Amino acid sequence: MWKWKRKEKSSTEQTQQKSNQKKSLTEFIQSLQKSEDFIRYSLGGEECTVYYIKTMSDSKILNRSVLPILNDETFQSLEGIKQHIPVENMTVTEDITLIQEKVMFGYIMVQLHHSAQEVLLIPAVSLESRSVSIPEVEFSVVGPKEAFVENINTNINLIRKRMPLPQLTIKELKIGKVTKSRVAVIFLDGVVDPENVETVTQRLKDIEYDQIIDSSFITQIIDDNSNSPFPQFLDTERPDRVVSNLIEGKVAIMVDGAPHALTCPTTVVELFGASDDYFLPWHLATVFRLIRLFAVIFSVLSTPLYVAVLTYHHEMIPGELMATIVSSRSDIPFSPILEVIVLELTIELLREAGARLPTKIGQTIGIVGGIVIGTAAVDAGLTSNVLLIIVALSALASFTTPIYQIGNTIRLIRFPFIIGAQMWGLIGVSMCMVFLSAI
Amino acid sequence: MNRLNSTPGWNIPINYLITPMYVLFLIHSMQIGVGILGFEKYLVEKAGYDAWISLLIAGGFMHIILWMIYRFLQNGGGDIVQIHKNVFGKYIGWFLSLVFSLYFLLLTFNVIITFTEVIKVWVFPDLQVWIFLFFLLALVYYLVSGGVRVITGICLISVFIGLPLFLLKYFPVQAGHSMNVSPMISHSVTDILAATKQSVLSFLGFEFLLIFYPFIKEPAKSKKWAHFAVFYTTMIYLISLLVTFVYFNEKQLKQVVWGTISTWKIVELPFIERFEYIGIAMWLYVILPNICLGLWGATKIPKRVFNIKQKYVLIVFLLVIFFPAAMIDGRSVINMVNNFSSQAGFYVLLYIPVLLVLKTISDKVRKRREG
Repeated sequence: MWKWKRKEKSSTEQTQQKSNQKKSLTEFIQSLQKSEDFIRYSLGGEECTVYYIKTMSDSKILNRSVLPILNDETFQSLEGIKQHIPVENMTVTEDITLIQEKVMFGYIMVQLHHSAQEVLLIPAVSLESRSVSIPEVEFSVVGPKEAFVENINTNINLIRKRMPLPQLTIKELKIGKVTKSRVAVIFLDGVVDPENVETVTQRLKDIEYDQIIDSSFITQIIDDNSNSPFPQFLDTERPDRVVSNLIEGKVAIMVDGAPHALTCPTTVVELFGASDDYFLPWHLATVFRLIRLFAVIFSVLSTPLYVAVLTYHHEMIPGELMATIVSSRSDIPFSPILEVIVLELTIELLREAGARLPTKIGQTIGIVGGIVIGTAAVDAGLTSNVLLIIVALSALASFTTPIYQIGNTIRLIRFPFIIGAQMWGLIGVSMCMVFLSAI
Repeated sequence: MNRLNSTPGWNIPINYLITPMYVLFLIHSMQIGVGILGFEKYLVEKAGYDAWISLLIAGGFMHIILWMIYRFLQNGGGDIVQIHKNVFGKYIGWFLSLVFSLYFLLLTFNVIITFTEVIKVWVFPDLQVWIFLFFLLALVYYLVSGGVRVITGICLISVFIGLPLFLLKYFPVQAGHSMNVSPMISHSVTDILAATKQSVLSFLGFEFLLIFYPFIKEPAKSKKWAHFAVFYTTMIYLISLLVTFVYFNEKQLKQVVWGTISTWKIVELPFIERFEYIGIAMWLYVILPNICLGLWGATKIPKRVFNIKQKYVLIVFLLVIFFPAAMIDGRSVINMVNNFSSQAGFYVLLYIPVLLVLKTISDKVRKRREG
């Protein structure tokens, strides 16, 4: 998963499509008029016409800066209007693709004559987004508590303000045939390996897909090995983490509408590093990180080892410990593998249910599931106490990973291990381990 | 980039190359295999408790052979196939290279059947060998088709996983008698030399350098790492041998087939007894590099000679291993294969100085003809 090769693909198809899309301005206006929220009206003797989408445009800009000027004076040319309206970054263009794109984003379009192909585009985009809040997935006790939001401009602002450098470069692409999502490739020029940037942009350009709703779509499309269960991009919601990755010479990818940034290339060890680690003194951080790594190994290996040892190698357990295990398992009718699979699936069930339910009910379900079902299962003689502890601990341990994606991986890879343990005991477990380390 | 790789059709992209330091892991992990689990018996049969001297002599011998290998690889323009072609011409060169390929295959086969035997003897007496082999070889196929970088990774992991197992030597030492080793040098020189021949076989594995040499980034720099690997292997064998000597007495040792595994048996921790189960399971890691690198080397040669895809050769070779290995049963057959591959390995080692001499002569002749 560490290899970083280029996938060669031609991007000629995309350009062809663009040319096909070219329609005339009137056709574009006609197709928009089917919607109720598309507004058009004429000012100053039917000559000057204003078009905009009510739901996308900011009415403040329209009312305060555009309409008064258009009403008060008469203009001969679009350039004249452009000089008078106090809004930044207006464009006069004939390019229908550009017009379509901008109007759909909430620009106000001004046309002087009915038949004119040339229009003035006034940026009046109203962006609805929530404000910057504290990170929920990657919360840390110390350190900055800002998290990305769905608006890409805000997100880039969060990054730029931490790194006021001219070298911080942002390349923007539009991806997705239907959604036309804005995707930004962010890197620190001079630090980054240019080849990586090129690979990333090239792969992004090659994407042909209708909808890019979230950054996770991009992860799945452009990663090196899409069959690997391991994440190949570090998916984070913390701007400070992205900044430190950028300084290390990595490339970040952000998608408009996704409150996450992807950074790449990444290594497995990084996926276990929390940003807390960098806010603590080195010895504490090292110990905590080691504990986290241990927790992950424990989470993956504990139940398979239980199966392997109890099914095949009970000689391995010393006498006193054996007595404990035997007494807890004495009236359980199932073999270890069945017991483990049932309990693991129960935990997965709780987890899935907990993730989908509203917060308040979720807590209740957690308590009901954890305490009531657990105790009842032991009392009914369906599972042993020891296993219950092991499964609960390993579930807990899998939550210690600071990156959510890798937690999912750990959740999944446990099951092949259990099967391996049932087939050949410890040798099966270590075969799975080899397979894992080879991925 | 380095000029060595500039022979036609032999340009290896930089992302397939390995850094010189990894030669340490490649060579060391290749040398440590199933052999170390039970090599003591064969040495003791020949030279008794003086076998450690033989082992040291063999280690020294290995350094000389390694030096020779580097000597002719450094100006050989690639790997063993290229050298064979230069020295013997096209057809004899091909033939000799293919002999090497078969030898590597034999080594792999040997490792696989011995490990299966270990599992059958120590863990699962009624193991369904063919199912196990099927999964093992599928795993190997996956690893080998990943290329030399993946194999290097496996070697690295194997060395690190092998290390904690080594710490377990503490238990037998604690329980043993250090006086066992003395009196020193109580055997004749011929006995010691016979044991040297036996112990040379434990060091087999660095011949793979002949194949993966072009994949090293700066080959000249890897020399010291390769020597270090051999030295490290010697030390590990020496310590293993001494520990077994301390723990077993001489007569007992002649009866014990798997000396090292037997010493694992006495390891006792508060929560684990019978450590050999864990040991054997972890040993899978140690033997995997042997199998993978072995098969990789064995399949690389036909690829270089006939220019066919390595994948097809790999599948054929895996099948060649699978059917006999699934059918083999019983210690005697395995012993036979062991002995045969040891003999083959010994002759391969003897062949290396011969090749060096031949190569030097042919280089001289060529130079004279050109000049």
